[in-house]
Amino acid sequence: MQILADLQRRFCDALRAPETPPEELLAELIDDGHALARFDVYRNNFIVLNGDALAEMYPSVQRLIGAQAFRLLATAYVRRHPPRERALLLYGAEFAEFLREIPELAALPYLPDVARLEYAWTAAYHAADATPITQAEVTRAGTETLASARLKPHPSLRLIDSRYPLYRIWQNNQHESDDLVSLDEGPSRVIVNRPGRQVEVREAGVGEFVLMRALHAGGSVQHALAQAIDTDPEFDLSDFFSRRLFDGTFVAINNKPKEE
Amino acid sequence: MMETVKVFPSGPTPDAWIPTRAGVGLKAQHYANVIEQRPDLGWFEVHPENYMAEGGPALGYLERIRMDYPLSLHSVGTSLGSHRPLDRVHLSRLKALVERFQPGLVSEHLSWSHGRDWFTHDLLPLLYTEASLQNVVRHIDEVQETLGRRILIENPSSYLQFKRSEIPESEFLVEAARRSGAALLLDVNNVYVSCMNHSWDIAAYLAPIGAELVGEIHLAGHAVQELEGFTLRIDDHGSPVAPAVWELYRLCIDRFGQVPTLIEWDSNVPDFAQLMQEANLAERLLIPTAETLSHANPG
Repeated sequence: MQILADLQRRFCDALRAPETPPEELLAELIDDGHALARFDVYRNNFIVLNGDALAEMYPSVQRLIGAQAFRLLATAYVRRHPPRERALLLYGAEFAEFLREIPELAALPYLPDVARLEYAWTAAYHAADATPITQAEVTRAGTETLASARLKPHPSLRLIDSRYPLYRIWQNNQHESDDLVSLDEGPSRVIVNRPGRQVEVREAGVGEFVLMRALHAGGSVQHALAQAIDTDPEFDLSDFFSRRLFDGTFVAINNKPKEE
Repeated sequence: MMETVKVFPSGPTPDAWIPTRAGVGLKAQHYANVIEQRPDLGWFEVHPENYMAEGGPALGYLERIRMDYPLSLHSVGTSLGSHRPLDRVHLSRLKALVERFQPGLVSEHLSWSHGRDWFTHDLLPLLYTEASLQNVVRHIDEVQETLGRRILIENPSSYLQFKRSEIPESEFLVEAARRSGAALLLDVNNVYVSCMNHSWDIAAYLAPIGAELVGEIHLAGHAVQELEGFTLRIDDHGSPVAPAVWELYRLCIDRFGQVPTLIEWDSNVPDFAQLMQEANLAERLLIPTAETLSHANPG
């Protein structure tokens, strides 16, 4: 077993290492003069299979920097952050942070935010299912209870704020559009949710975003609304009560005292 | 010295059984085709790891398709050949999917992907020694115990060999199956790819494999890589099945009998019609009378 363990560790180290010949492993292989070329099939598979998973998760990042640059970054990422899960569904969680540290990408400061949004999209896609709260539940709870209640967000709900016009950048890269987005358009707040089969991505006003964030953090409806109005005096309360409450953003009304 | 071999049931209820027909690997881009057109196919196969999500539409699509077709789960993440212990969390997720989808067959590869505290997500070649065999058998036992059913083990495609290996690959495979009570999933493309890459004799490779062990066959395309002075065949599931592999498939049907056969196509995924064409080709070889039968029994 020790031999098997040593060999497998050596194999993994050689897979992850850059393109130098892995002498320790090569000594274990039958040498027909092509041992390195044979091993390189595995080294290449490791980079390509996991790099493909990243490319699938980050199509807009890839479009913004080009396939070739993406492939180089993906290769470096796979080596630095090899998969920690047996399923590849959510591989690439650290990609946004990774991009932030690449000096050559300093001219594209919004890129990590695009990556955050794309990760949120896939995480929302695979998140647990849940049934939205209904008008009847709200009526049953009554206005007073609702004010002091907390709302359980859909498990897929993700909130992303950016100093850059993230929503427009992301949207432009959904339809091969070549419209230019000016960074002067300013900050953007994006809400990602999957109430049914479709992942929904929309831009929120600052008031609504503050409201969602307070509710997401477990604050009461009253408290969250107060924060929203505080931040944005023009925040539209009626939109929240007539639409957002029932559109699948929330799945339960919780009027018990806060537990966590 | 012979250890007792547990006998596990090979499948759940009869409606879940995989028919002796051709099936295809189900791809996300084909969900709509399958649900809307209900193609005349025997069965589908998926990687359970692609459905190990907490929820979401993919599970819903699979549930819908399972209502119309038998399903096989073909795992890629168990890492049966790893020196590390199997992951109980992964096994419990696999068990949950088996309970939910009632697959007719459950299979995994004779390989490993977990050598450090991270995963390669590639199917890596195993050392063929007695110690390694005991390790793999222990792991197959554990999977079968957890799932409460027999699994199938697939022969790998490989590109290199270890000096320390002592047992020919197909003997290792057969012995692993014999000791654990598992069946074999014979990947005919992998047989061809590995035999070509290592200059192994195909007939000698197939010789130790008894017909009673083979419960499923895989077919796929491979790439041919010309390197300086030699050729490597790469099992990339990215093209139609090669003529030489069809030829070998014909031979395998003669030898192992009519076995449910799957077309795998995982990279450069074609439109569904082309996948159906490959499945129809396989079915014509698998059941030579299929055409006459379908004419005799329309609908």
